[in-house]
Amino acid sequence: MSRIYAGKDDNPVLDTISVWLYIVLVLIGLISIYSATSEVNQNFQFSFSSVAGRQLIWIGGAVIIILTIAFANVAIIDYFAYGFYGFAILLNIAVLFLGKEVSGAKSWFGFGGFGIQPSEFAKVATALAIAKYLGTYGIRFKGTRNVLITLSLFLFPMLLILAQNDTGSALVFLSFFLVLYREGLPGWILLSALWLMIIAIARIVMEATGISHLWTMGILVFISTFIIYFGRKNKQLIIATLIVSAASAVFSIAVGFAYTKILKGYQRDRIELVLNLKQDTRNMGYNLEQSRIAIGAGQVIGRGFLKGTQTKMGFVPEQHTDFIFCTIGEEWGFVGVLVFFCLYFGLLFRLLSLAERQSTAFGRVLGYSVVCILFFHLSINIGMTIGIVPVIGIPLPFVSFGGSSLWAFTLLLFLFLKVDEKRR
Amino acid sequence: MALVYLIKIFRLQILDSQYEQKAINNALNKIPIYPDRSIIYDRNGKLLVHNIAIYDLVVFPAKAKGIDSVAFCEIMRITGDEYHKYMTLARENSKKRQKNNVFNGSAVFMSNLTKDQYSAIQENLYRFPGFSVEPKTDRLYAVKGGAHILGYMGEVSKKLLSKDPYYRPGDLVGITGIENTYESYIRGVKGVKTVWQDRTYTERGEAKDNEFNSPAQSGPDFFSSIDFELQEFGESLLDNKRGSVVAIEPSTGEILALINKPDYDPNLLVGEARSKSFKQLLIDPKKPLYNRAIKGVYPPGSTFKTVMALIACQEGVLKPSTLHGCSGGYHLGKLTVGCHPHGSPTDLKHSIGISCNAYYCQVFRDIIDNPKYANVKAGYASLEKHLHSFGLGNKLGVDLPGENKGNVPSLKQLDKRHGKNWKSSMIISLAIGQGEILLTPMQMANCAAIIANKGWFITPHLVKGIGTSRYLPEDFKKKHYTTVSELYYDWIIDGMELVPKPGGTATGTGFEDIVICSKTGTAQNPHGQDHSLYIAFAPRDKPKIAIAVIVENGGYGATWAAPIANLMIEKYLNKGKESQRPEMLNRIRTSTVN
Repeated sequence: MSRIYAGKDDNPVLDTISVWLYIVLVLIGLISIYSATSEVNQNFQFSFSSVAGRQLIWIGGAVIIILTIAFANVAIIDYFAYGFYGFAILLNIAVLFLGKEVSGAKSWFGFGGFGIQPSEFAKVATALAIAKYLGTYGIRFKGTRNVLITLSLFLFPMLLILAQNDTGSALVFLSFFLVLYREGLPGWILLSALWLMIIAIARIVMEATGISHLWTMGILVFISTFIIYFGRKNKQLIIATLIVSAASAVFSIAVGFAYTKILKGYQRDRIELVLNLKQDTRNMGYNLEQSRIAIGAGQVIGRGFLKGTQTKMGFVPEQHTDFIFCTIGEEWGFVGVLVFFCLYFGLLFRLLSLAERQSTAFGRVLGYSVVCILFFHLSINIGMTIGIVPVIGIPLPFVSFGGSSLWAFTLLLFLFLKVDEKRR
Repeated sequence: MALVYLIKIFRLQILDSQYEQKAINNALNKIPIYPDRSIIYDRNGKLLVHNIAIYDLVVFPAKAKGIDSVAFCEIMRITGDEYHKYMTLARENSKKRQKNNVFNGSAVFMSNLTKDQYSAIQENLYRFPGFSVEPKTDRLYAVKGGAHILGYMGEVSKKLLSKDPYYRPGDLVGITGIENTYESYIRGVKGVKTVWQDRTYTERGEAKDNEFNSPAQSGPDFFSSIDFELQEFGESLLDNKRGSVVAIEPSTGEILALINKPDYDPNLLVGEARSKSFKQLLIDPKKPLYNRAIKGVYPPGSTFKTVMALIACQEGVLKPSTLHGCSGGYHLGKLTVGCHPHGSPTDLKHSIGISCNAYYCQVFRDIIDNPKYANVKAGYASLEKHLHSFGLGNKLGVDLPGENKGNVPSLKQLDKRHGKNWKSSMIISLAIGQGEILLTPMQMANCAAIIANKGWFITPHLVKGIGTSRYLPEDFKKKHYTTVSELYYDWIIDGMELVPKPGGTATGTGFEDIVICSKTGTAQNPHGQDHSLYIAFAPRDKPKIAIAVIVENGGYGATWAAPIANLMIEKYLNKGKESQRPEMLNRIRTSTVN
């Protein structure tokens, strides 16, 4: 057992493995940020006004957060969960009016040179609120009222963040569906989500390539006829098939409408690039291509610390924030990537096992929320740097530059570790 | 998920190796450092050509977007259309370079800036991101003559650009002369300064890695075989005339002087004025760019008798004692080849001294109608072979571009001209260097060198040595032997010695202290007056100089060509001394021949 007890008092402390993995990841982030923003022939130099220096200040803040949580009474977390949630919602509404616009999204509060992104904290608050709600005695994820309340607890902030025009951060809230699956959300809902995704992608491919969407309809009709013919004795099956087909058709039309009328040109471009429907190395595709070149240039053992020209020369966009993984790939190569994956998935699996061992629903839901949010971020972030998912601007937790995201993820992780500490 | 990602990353990093190069190409910019071209000296170390710095305006099209092009055009004094044209071209070139993987270099926007343009743009460069000025070198001539030897520079052609990746658009390369032949030595080696540059093409420091950097290496000192004092003297003699002089050091094949008139001042084809002057020279009806010495072909006239005599001796049909009569010409049936009045009959020696036509008509017939050959064609074939061994009818391989091979009529050519059943009498004019036989002045001078060497020559060349090791190409060390034995040359030389002496055809043009062996020629010319020709070498023992002179439409060889050649021989052999024939020198210098 890797649980450490501090001396004879038998006071439990935070899970050591998780804390160490956290520290290593944050340090990897700091080193990568330093490298990604350094000059070419530069000797080691450091100042707090540099990007890495500012990250170090954020890390200092994170340490204070960790110490505060470590010495706080765990009951406070439970007690203030809703209050925190309410506060986060208020901030996210306020930012719509008072925030400043950064690259098209109105999701920042500016304080002099620093900025705070309330959407990052909304994730933490939402995780807490859902955990609190589902942990309340007598409430389970069952019954229309409970389900609706649970859903609205994360769909509401998600809508607010969509309104801030920060699509990436909003999408993160979808990871709560995974949490709810653990809490009894029927599998067919996730299955339907998968089905809808297939339909959506099929529709987008057709819209983008100009294939008539009547094909979708034709295939739907064909499949339905097939099922109805063989299940003609089962009335329920026939009805279900008809409903699913009709719903699918409506959804397909809706996606087509949304794709052509609601999404903006650049968003369509991003999607089409990932679906390989478009070849373009100058504009959108340029970023993606540069990101791939950066990682590809790393080869087996990487180009060496501080030698990543793709990143520090600005060929890769946002090289110290959303695309920080490029620096790891370029400078440390496949070996570095493997180590990084081991560390990150080590942390995720550790957290998963801790979550599974929680004695309270509150702890379990919180644990799953942490794991799912981190997993979602990791998949999307790295997926976009290697061109598997569309470019969605969300940070790599603990690694990317940025105070709001570092503090929010630190808060999220350590609140859970604190709750876990109490478990025994 | 993790597995899918790892597989994808594995493919990017390990299976696909293109990305590393792409990353390097992205971030490195190779800036060429132009070396100085070789400095060219004459055989005595006199400076002929050196260098001067010039400037190119270079642009990164991608970065130059959105500059104030109106202000730019005003500063550079170009029109908007020109700006557009240059920019489009630069963009294309820049793209091409990126495609060829030559690092995303800049492209030349305007080359060879004028002084005004240079100073104007230097002051304003900060206003136009993406533009920079790169220094290169241009030629500076220390002398006014020798234009056809040295050659000129010009912008690299598209053809060469596509053939040799060493060059960039706007580079200067040697187009003719030594500059062209020895371009690969003379140009030196471009250096490379490699800098890191970011996405906005802003320099971010020098790449320290030696793999990417190299210094420029100047072209090695180039020592030409020219004696420039002799060259200048010869140019002054040939002034106001049309023609050519080639002087060779027989023992080495080194060209001592190569003169063409009309010519041009090499300083015209330098810097800003280059293209304008070049166009003017190109359309000039006097053809100043024309290198007669290697491109012009002339019937050799009576100078050819020396070669004919040598071949006849080798064929065993001529001896010093052979006598042939002359009654004012050579008569055969209706055919008459005229000759000037002189004593008859003559022996070999005097046939050369007084240049008897009838004598050589007989000699020519003796060669090709020789009963040892089955027929006249076989006899001619043998003659043709001998002629080729004198470097006639083929390119000599001189180190200048565009050499003409002249013409030694082949059997086929004769058949075509005279019908299948021609006889020796029908081609008898070849005996006296007329008809289809054509030589370049270079070939004539080489014949003089062959006689001086008694049977061999080294391909004439303008290079004496390159660099500190004085490198000389192997081709210019090899002796080429003629098919005529060494034994016979003295017989002919005995005759040539008579030419500038009293009783010879060039009497009154020689000097007491120099034994000049020579032969005059007067070549009939269908286009106008006869060409004045002369070949010579001196001194008779251990010859130092062999020379051929042609003055177009100059009449008798003795009138112009002989005095010019002999004055040059005197100049070369009696270095630094006043001429013994100032009145002849003065006459030549002040005369105009058209």
